[in-house]
Amino acid sequence: MAKKSDDHDEMKQCSGTAGFWEERGVSRRDFLKFCTAMSAALALPVSLAPKIAEALESDSRPSVIWLEFQSCTGDTEALLRAANPTVGEIVLDVLSVDYAETIMAAAGYQAEEAKHKTMKERGGKYIAIVEGSIPTGANGAYCCIGGKSALEIAREVCGGAMATITVGTCASYGGIPAAAPNPTGAMGVKDAVPGATVINLPGCPVNTDNLVATVVHLLTFGKLPAVDGKGRPQFAYGKRIHDNCERRPHFDAGQYVEAWGDQAHRKGHCLYKMGCKGPETFHNCPSQRYNEKTAWPVSAGHGCAGCSEPYFWDSMTPLYKRLPNVPGFGIETTADTIGLGLAAATAAAFGVHGVVSAFRKGDESEGAKEE
Amino acid sequence: MADHKACLYEKYVWEVPVRVTHWVNMLSIVVLAVTGIIIGSPRTLGLSGSDYVMGWVRFVHFTAAYAFAVSVAARIWWMFRGNRYARWREFFPVISSGGRARLWETFKYYTFLNKKAPHEVGHNAVAASAYSLVFLLYIVMALTGFSLYAEHRPGSLMHVVMTPLYTLFSNQGMRLTHHMVMWLLIGFVINHIYSIWLMDIKERGGVVSSIFSGYKAVQRKE
Amino acid sequence: MAKIVVDPITRIEGHLRIQAEVNGGQITDAWSSSTMFRGIEKILKGRDPRDAWYFTQRFCGVCTTVHSIASIRAVENALNVKIPLNAELIRNLIIGIQVVQDHVIHFYHLHALDWVDVVSALKADPSKTAALAASLSDWPLNSPTYFKAVQDKVAAFVKKGRLGPFANAYWGHPAYKLPPEANLMATAHYLEALDWQREVIKIQAILGSKNPHPQTFLVGGMAIPVDPNSQNALNADKIAEIGQLLKKAKEFVEKVYIPDLLAVASFYKEWAGIGGGVGNYMSYGEYPLDNSGKPEKLWFPQGIILGKDLSRVYPIDQKKITESVAHSWYEGGDAGVHPWDEQTEAKYTGPKPPYDMIDTNQKYSWVKSPRYDGKAMETGPLATILVAYASGHKGAKGAVDLVLGKLGVGPEALFSTLGRTAARGIETLLVAQELPKWLDMLVANVAGGDLAIHNGEKWDPATWPAEAAGYGWHNAPRGALGHWIRIKDQKIANYQAVVPSTWNASPRDEKGQRGPYEAALVGTPMADPNKPLEILRTIHSFDPCLACAVHLVDPNGGELLSVKVL
Repeated sequence: MAKKSDDHDEMKQCSGTAGFWEERGVSRRDFLKFCTAMSAALALPVSLAPKIAEALESDSRPSVIWLEFQSCTGDTEALLRAANPTVGEIVLDVLSVDYAETIMAAAGYQAEEAKHKTMKERGGKYIAIVEGSIPTGANGAYCCIGGKSALEIAREVCGGAMATITVGTCASYGGIPAAAPNPTGAMGVKDAVPGATVINLPGCPVNTDNLVATVVHLLTFGKLPAVDGKGRPQFAYGKRIHDNCERRPHFDAGQYVEAWGDQAHRKGHCLYKMGCKGPETFHNCPSQRYNEKTAWPVSAGHGCAGCSEPYFWDSMTPLYKRLPNVPGFGIETTADTIGLGLAAATAAAFGVHGVVSAFRKGDESEGAKEE
Repeated sequence: MADHKACLYEKYVWEVPVRVTHWVNMLSIVVLAVTGIIIGSPRTLGLSGSDYVMGWVRFVHFTAAYAFAVSVAARIWWMFRGNRYARWREFFPVISSGGRARLWETFKYYTFLNKKAPHEVGHNAVAASAYSLVFLLYIVMALTGFSLYAEHRPGSLMHVVMTPLYTLFSNQGMRLTHHMVMWLLIGFVINHIYSIWLMDIKERGGVVSSIFSGYKAVQRKE
Repeated sequence: MAKIVVDPITRIEGHLRIQAEVNGGQITDAWSSSTMFRGIEKILKGRDPRDAWYFTQRFCGVCTTVHSIASIRAVENALNVKIPLNAELIRNLIIGIQVVQDHVIHFYHLHALDWVDVVSALKADPSKTAALAASLSDWPLNSPTYFKAVQDKVAAFVKKGRLGPFANAYWGHPAYKLPPEANLMATAHYLEALDWQREVIKIQAILGSKNPHPQTFLVGGMAIPVDPNSQNALNADKIAEIGQLLKKAKEFVEKVYIPDLLAVASFYKEWAGIGGGVGNYMSYGEYPLDNSGKPEKLWFPQGIILGKDLSRVYPIDQKKITESVAHSWYEGGDAGVHPWDEQTEAKYTGPKPPYDMIDTNQKYSWVKSPRYDGKAMETGPLATILVAYASGHKGAKGAVDLVLGKLGVGPEALFSTLGRTAARGIETLLVAQELPKWLDMLVANVAGGDLAIHNGEKWDPATWPAEAAGYGWHNAPRGALGHWIRIKDQKIANYQAVVPSTWNASPRDEKGQRGPYEAALVGTPMADPNKPLEILRTIHSFDPCLACAVHLVDPNGGELLSVKVL
């Protein structure tokens, strides 16, 4: 069967058939419903739904190379939770996933060969999806696949791709491996391969709905969606969690959870004092939620961790405090204790100075002279 | 001593913009610090979900922030328009050799190394240098504050203008900076109130009343 | 004799590489290397111990809850925190559904393609397939029309000529033994399981906000509030939804997974004699039935079996656990060190990439070599089930005897590649059947008025001692997981995780003892060294949780063969 995959002519013959989706057990009606939902997710006018349908229907399924580097596979797992369309549809019908370590049947040499074939035959046309950061320390030995370093693979694959989608915060900005002291010199794709066309989909893990929406955008419009200053698509990262949060009225009202399991916690009050990082995080969790919109951290009683922001492992921790620790002080020392100490020390110093000055005689000025 | 007193006259030192911005700054800093501390670590003050306690606190904070920013901007503008005691040169005594000498003398007085209190018509050299630092802190506060504020509307004019700050600071780093500078300013306020009390007594120029009236007692030229 | 390089091994989590010697169509020796290092243990130093679970959760996104559980248990152990019963039961539900979902994904999506030839399914007769399926269970989707639809779907996909993730596999390999009908049935269930896993894991979203990486764990309890009279807490409607999903989980396991497992296994009985491994098994036990924290209150018992002797179960003493870096790329001496005293300082001495071979006489892996009392231990579902079976656990005994009876093999068949795969099914079945009981216990406790989900006595670091040390154990889907922590001045002073795949994928220790993967591969037959399907079978039977690569090495330094697509 492996030989069959070489046979691209056959693939071309069955492209563009009207009954493509019906063949795969998806009714026309369901399909258009999906396209409408997709245009909503992408914040596009509903009138664009037919255009999305057209893009998905033509059988020029783009090839995808899904690379895993310093990852925990959480983003691949997230993809398995995709519902609109499901992972089965994505893998079989929407895309041609030619390389993805976690799900592919082939292994070893055969797996690597499949990747190289796609790169050679579809250079500049395939989509690279990257999960996990790229270590640059120790000549790249911290992550090797098939004996090649992650950096080398990323340069090859991302460099030759139409576009690279980084899924998760590790591939976008370095993520947890890049957290201080960054033992392996880990970095995100854009930093490791500056020449590549990259769109960042941070989150720990990525919200699979945003990944699907980005791919559909790319297929429909032939270009990547508009991004913010951190390379993230505006349709998913254009608003702050805090400004979209279902518990915002309790924040404005002045009702806060003070201890886990207290009455305020049970009644769904604001988690601001429990260290929620919603006020400093841009992501569409409150509206898109997770696992087919079942829940998101705040709805289930735990504060936001700020996982879609660069370097959140260092800047957003400690998790359960509003402000980061002040460098050089212990973890129990907050900015306020330091500030109060500073104010008290100032007051004490000037108090002493005042007493000394009061007993000091004959130091009066002779008065300012006009010059 | 009696002779000296006889030669004193009331000199108009602090012009109206100087005094107005001083008091606007003072009021807004007090309001900003109090509301800021509440925003940073609030107590549960709302009794029902339809209350708007934090909403009002934040509204007051933002209003005071605008007042403060306008006041600081106006004062900086006046540094280029006002009299010699309001001018920007006054705040950087370190740029002239005479200024550096006065800075050293005043420093020695504060540290009990020198017995004679400084005698200045405008600010003494140490105070003036401190104010230049304080104004720097004001600018940091205004920039970080408005950057944080603008995040409620990405893509808005304010958000776009603040773009370099989002690169310079992590989001939490910006908050921490905003917070820590508040404490530095509180430290400054303590210092400031003490120093003017000391100078009012020792310098005998009536510095405390001068910020109300604008006049300081100055010796006539001999 | 030949050297073969296959890199990477796919359908696992992480990056793994195995080098092995093939001699006369059989593997005579093997070396396992992990080729990825992130240094999270080092990153943890100096941080707030209450945050540790959030960091360690990112050790792995597949078994996405397990490192959080082990981490909070370690900190709770260090600070001596007793958690409320509600929190303990909510943790059981989260752990249990993780096991059930993870094992089913492993069987269908990571392991099945080693046994099931998807392409052969095209030759199947849908009516015969339906008859075969109906003979195994009364699952409602057993009609000829259903299997015809699946077959058409696969045919349409294959016709397009671009097989995506199914390209370049070992289809048509002589080691595939299933008839086309069984292949079609398994392929249909491969697709069904994809939808099923997405549904049942919503339990973690309800209890913990999302999956992967649920965000709900707290040192001292859980973050999901319980209150029958609030819409923002675990209330009757959420409990009902969980109950419904648990039913769905149990039904699929009973009517699809287990029948498929038995059907597939019956064609591969020779694998009951292959892939035995080190013969020592360790299980930390799991599912506390109260909040006392005592090992005897665990539903699955804790213990060790030595030398395949099921007549005796030894208790575990955590002090006897050590890790050696004799063959791992880290600083330190060769002798084993207890996790509390260990350091994770990377020191790479392997070949500079790109490379073809790693010299296995030197250090050759990022995985350390954990040993218990100097012995290599296998861990995972097989260990869990063997320890339970040998301890007289009623459910385990019944299920094991049933499976052995159906396959017509004796208990010795358990010590094998097939035994490992079967034990995973047995564990899934037992947990899926037990989960509704823990939900009932939770409901009964809440009905009694207990709404506590967190013990806040030690939440404030000011209440902590200046120094503390603790460990947290969890019997994860892949086996015995332990986290060891030292806390000093309210900060993490040292953190070490000894994870199941470290036990199983461990390289040789300072005495040259093989790790379980290495030992299990010895004696595995190879029909075609160019298509090392057999290696994948044994390695996948462990469900590795790190990405890897396989090498076959000639002890006489023979030539490197390139593995080609045929």
